[in-house]
Amino acid sequence: MTCDQVRPRLADYAVGALRGRERARLLNHVGACASCGAELEALERTGALVSRLSLESAPTGAWEAICHRIRDEGGGSARRGWGRALAMAGVALAVLIVALITFLPTLQRESGSPVMPQADEDIQLTMEAHLAAVWSAPLADAAAVGLHLGSVEDDS
Amino acid sequence: MQAVVVQARSGSVEAFAEVYRIYQAGVYTFILSQVREPELAADLTQQTFVRAWESLHGLRQAGAFRGWLHRIAANLVRDEVKSGRARLEVTVGQLTDDNTPQTPIATDGGPEDAALRSELRRQVWSALKSLPAEQRGAVVMHHLEGMPVSEIAQAMGVRPGTVMSRLARAREALRKRLSQYVEAEARDM
Repeated sequence: MTCDQVRPRLADYAVGALRGRERARLLNHVGACASCGAELEALERTGALVSRLSLESAPTGAWEAICHRIRDEGGGSARRGWGRALAMAGVALAVLIVALITFLPTLQRESGSPVMPQADEDIQLTMEAHLAAVWSAPLADAAAVGLHLGSVEDDS
Repeated sequence: MQAVVVQARSGSVEAFAEVYRIYQAGVYTFILSQVREPELAADLTQQTFVRAWESLHGLRQAGAFRGWLHRIAANLVRDEVKSGRARLEVTVGQLTDDNTPQTPIATDGGPEDAALRSELRRQVWSALKSLPAEQRGAVVMHHLEGMPVSEIAQAMGVRPGTVMSRLARAREALRKRLSQYVEAEARDM
């Protein structure tokens, strides 16, 4: 390598960006060339100079302000995480229950199982009552299933 | 350090206080290197930690916390710049001592003159602030915080090769701007 080829790559070498053959060729040149060697030293010294700067601390009172905002929001990160997980589980459960109520009689009919008397009408009435009354109450799904199964058992 | 992040993730404000104690200087210095006003840097630092607390449950690997935290800080800086409240580029003509950190440059404990140290610190910060924002951020994270290239890449949302390139270009520019001090150091050795 010549000096003209080496010079633009010296900073890349100094930050550890060169690998393998290119790195070896550059080192070979720098070992034999006083001028490029001096430039590499200067680049390394520059890095050392910048590394001697110290970090600056955030102004005093910053943590108190953060703490205040965290507590004002009324709850921890973990609690919010669990809350979200529970809400998702509730929605999934509701969808599953509605799907079972809707499709189970159809599947039973198709598979040749005896169809329960007035089952479709009962389901519709149960669903209408359920949706009208309990949109936001997750436990109502379980109650609706219980009522429906009870009515099915009574009919049979 | 990972243990305290895990504790904070499970909802412990006390553990998060320790997390803040460990990382606040790094975050504040990084933001200060990106925006001009110390007040804005302090406000963005607060926002960074509040947002980190709110999103901590989504962090899968506690070991990736520092890069993740700096990513939040970088995004907040970017949003601030987009909103027009802050400017990333600081030209040499705009440089004042107002936003130059006051912490003195570290020395080996020798009888170095305090005024000279102060002048050297000012010059190094001035040189740093003359760099493009991406290079400045990479230099602060690497040289002042000691973050490895992979972590900086995570924080900046770029590939490690891009970080290396930014560090290399920054080194060339700093070497030119600080040549007088670099050569003086070489003579003293």
